[in-house]
Amino acid sequence: MIDLVCLGKAFDLQKEIVAKITGIEDSRVVNCKSLNGDLVFLQSDTSINPDLANQKVVVGQKFLDQLYLGDVLLLKPNGFVRILFRVKSNHNSLFVTEMCNSNCLMCSQPPKNADDIDYHYTINEQLINLIPKSTKFLGITGGEPLLLESKFVKLLDDCQNLLPETHIHVLTNGRYFAWPKFVELFNGIDKERIVFGIPLYSDFDENHDFIVQAKNAFNQTILGLHNLGRNEFRIEIRCVLHKLTFERLPRLAEYIYSNLPFVEHIAFMGLEYTGYTPYNSKLLWIEPHAYSTELEQSVLFLNSVGINVSIYNIPLCLLTPSTRKFARNSISDWKKEYLEECIGCSHLNDCGGVFGTSKIQSAYIKAIID
Amino acid sequence: MENIRNKRNRKFRTREYYGNSASDYHLLPFRFIELSESKEILVNEVGESLIVPRGTALKIAQRCIAENDPIIPDLISRFFISRKPIPELIDVLATRYRTKKSFLDSFTSLHIFVLTLRCNHSCHYCQVSRVTENREDFDISYNDIDLGIDHMFKSPSKKLTIEFQGGEPLLAFDKLEYAIERITRLNKDFKKELSFVVCTNATVFNTKNLQFLKEHNVLISTSLDGPEFLHDANRPKTGRNSYQLVLNGINYARKMVGHDQVSALMTTTRLSLDYPIEIIDNYLENGFNNIFLRPISPYGFALKNKTKNIYDDKKFLEFYKKGLDHIIKINQRGRYFVEDYTAILLKKILTPFCTNYVDLQSPSGIINNVVVFNYDGRVYASDESRMLAERNDLTFLLGHVSDSYESIFYGKKSKELSKYWSNESLAGCSDCAFQSYCGADPVYHYASQGDFEGFRPTSGFCLKNMGIIKHLFELMDFRKEEVMPIFISWISN
Amino acid sequence: MEFVCVNPSLLKISLSKEVYTIDVVYKCFYWYSGKYSVTINEGLSTIEIDLELGEGIQKVDGLIKRLKIDLIDFKTRDIVSKETVNIRELLVAKAFAHGDEFDESPPGEIADTPTNC
Repeated sequence: MIDLVCLGKAFDLQKEIVAKITGIEDSRVVNCKSLNGDLVFLQSDTSINPDLANQKVVVGQKFLDQLYLGDVLLLKPNGFVRILFRVKSNHNSLFVTEMCNSNCLMCSQPPKNADDIDYHYTINEQLINLIPKSTKFLGITGGEPLLLESKFVKLLDDCQNLLPETHIHVLTNGRYFAWPKFVELFNGIDKERIVFGIPLYSDFDENHDFIVQAKNAFNQTILGLHNLGRNEFRIEIRCVLHKLTFERLPRLAEYIYSNLPFVEHIAFMGLEYTGYTPYNSKLLWIEPHAYSTELEQSVLFLNSVGINVSIYNIPLCLLTPSTRKFARNSISDWKKEYLEECIGCSHLNDCGGVFGTSKIQSAYIKAIID
Repeated sequence: MENIRNKRNRKFRTREYYGNSASDYHLLPFRFIELSESKEILVNEVGESLIVPRGTALKIAQRCIAENDPIIPDLISRFFISRKPIPELIDVLATRYRTKKSFLDSFTSLHIFVLTLRCNHSCHYCQVSRVTENREDFDISYNDIDLGIDHMFKSPSKKLTIEFQGGEPLLAFDKLEYAIERITRLNKDFKKELSFVVCTNATVFNTKNLQFLKEHNVLISTSLDGPEFLHDANRPKTGRNSYQLVLNGINYARKMVGHDQVSALMTTTRLSLDYPIEIIDNYLENGFNNIFLRPISPYGFALKNKTKNIYDDKKFLEFYKKGLDHIIKINQRGRYFVEDYTAILLKKILTPFCTNYVDLQSPSGIINNVVVFNYDGRVYASDESRMLAERNDLTFLLGHVSDSYESIFYGKKSKELSKYWSNESLAGCSDCAFQSYCGADPVYHYASQGDFEGFRPTSGFCLKNMGIIKHLFELMDFRKEEVMPIFISWISN
Repeated sequence: MEFVCVNPSLLKISLSKEVYTIDVVYKCFYWYSGKYSVTINEGLSTIEIDLELGEGIQKVDGLIKRLKIDLIDFKTRDIVSKETVNIRELLVAKAFAHGDEFDESPPGEIADTPTNC
């Protein structure tokens, strides 16, 4: 795991700064520059750069060691530093809000109620100006990004203009897309370079609504998917696997094929045991091997009718042999871990590992010895 | 107005808060049929099906479903019932309905040109005619080809399939060459997606015609009735061995134009009925990946030779079931081999898409999907229509190729036929659970029962399709584990 | 519901109009009219049906059992089709409508709605 945040000690930092790493002088000093020319030094030691006129933040050497030229950081006057963008990573995202109109029982990053849209918007507008034009992939996540409404469209538009080669992946519950007028806002977006990843947890409205803790959410999401499909947007459907979703999983697969055959990818995702999940553990937690039959049936069905299907976040040893080829290396590099049990596993190189953020792991993880 | 971007209260609520009471629902249109003494099949307006205990439809209608009956989620998610009088997802359902009927969007796409009635074979079930090989009177004229092509390019369809038939169309190779070249030339402006098919007995191939067919990507469709003794009995050719000739032709064509460009069709005669296994194995041995178990049509000259050609539709059903069972076993052994009619029905039953098979549509495929330009310039509603015409029955004659597009395609005949070409409004069909999988066939019913509407209790079309569809549901229910992977592999291309 | 076998080739059936409408009876007996000669007479409170088969009706008990099942089925079909006639029309109208002229507003509270939608 990599620590994306660090609390250091700031000197002369008057305001929050979004800055790109423009130089690494020796392994102990990093220069960062913001869009409007602010220069900040990030260093492991106050003694290195005693000139008090310089803005600087002192952080641990371990944090410094994981930074590369081109990474973008957020630096706060209180010494807080967050890595916003890592050039070496394929899992970079714009975080746009902590607010959400759903309240999923298994949310890994529980939403907050304060209106933080403008705050994040300002940061992200700077960020997209600082990241390399060659960036292949950029996620957008929250909270619920669609709550930004027209600001979201503006942000997307700016992303696509500034980063003409970048593919954008948006994680949204898609509920706002139920309103055709809302979808119209996206008319100017380059549809080829954007995929909406939208969760669907059941074919039965009451189940889905209960899981996301919002009445009408299922119908809104389905109508949203339908509207996106009619307008030829690219769609990925995501379903988190837990005790409330696995039983009807094969039915969900059929439902997607019958009603939403235009989706280009379906991801079944293992549960990250963090956020709300520990609190709702009794409702949610189930050993992955206990749902392997339903998962296998669903995956093989979708694959055989020609829909791309993937399994995320489940180590290979917890999957049936016929479904292993659908497992992807999906856990973000900074969260990914392997366990002691994995030592000697012959599939280690192909395996996506487990969430380092999960507070418990499956008891059935063990090395596969071929 | 305050927008709930944020939920003020993030306390989790119980499942009950998101639920509804069991009996609180509205019906959506669906139909049903008994599958067995203990089960019935429910099918809704867009073809979504559900196999349930016998009596379930009645319970649904009478609001007698128990509070905790696990069927409720299925009924809601499959659109059999709705919590609201107008279901919230009705636009999704409407899209599915439109998709199922999307074959209508393109109107006529299959254009059949009968290039000649001349043939070098004399099959006893031949649907059209047998004329000696040297009578130029039975070839289509260049002028009529031109007129037919002009009509064809007026079709709104983006995809056009041009099928050349006969007689033996390759006996009029000059006409075929002319038609294909003209169509290809004109299409530089029209930019339609073209597919060419030639229906040939495979006995008159030569380097010249095969080279041409290859160059223009023409699919070769030929006839193979099964093992040698059967094929030769069905398709006699004076003094020569028809089976060997066809196989030589098939192999020659495969070598010249490519293995997958050559397909074969079989016709089930009375003699064939005893040999489903042998016929299928013959197709397998000859390197085909599919077979179309096809009953004989009660048209044209087939009726002349009743002892050989007319049999009980129930016998055909037995033949089909035995054949399908054998094909399932072949697939279970790991060899991919498809029964085409089953695949068409499975696409209708298991997928949200429509099929382009013209004999099983509602509104019917005649005119809507297919039109025939006959060798004599007459235009017919379907291939079967011109077979009737060869017996001097001009009921389905739409006009002459020199008539205007409007008078042919939207004329009086078309309008009259349109009253009988939707099974949604036919007696016996309007309540049928299999309505959305089946079709209306006014030509068949006219030919076999004397009127366009037909009489379902004794209709061979009904008996055959009801029998086959019900059989498929039986298989998908009683032998689910073994047949489903095979069936799904057939629908996904 | 009354079934009387008058003679080996004639079965008389009497149905209460309170239970079965004439539509249901017609639709049900349509399927018997291929094999049998069917006569349907509508009385004041009953519908009288004659099923005749010249060569004699075999297995009358089985036939009556089948008829009872079919009558229930056709009555059920009638309930469903009558109750869904409007929604079916709406569905077909929407399916063949141009653009979004028949689109419904999405479900949910006003507070659930994005601005200006």
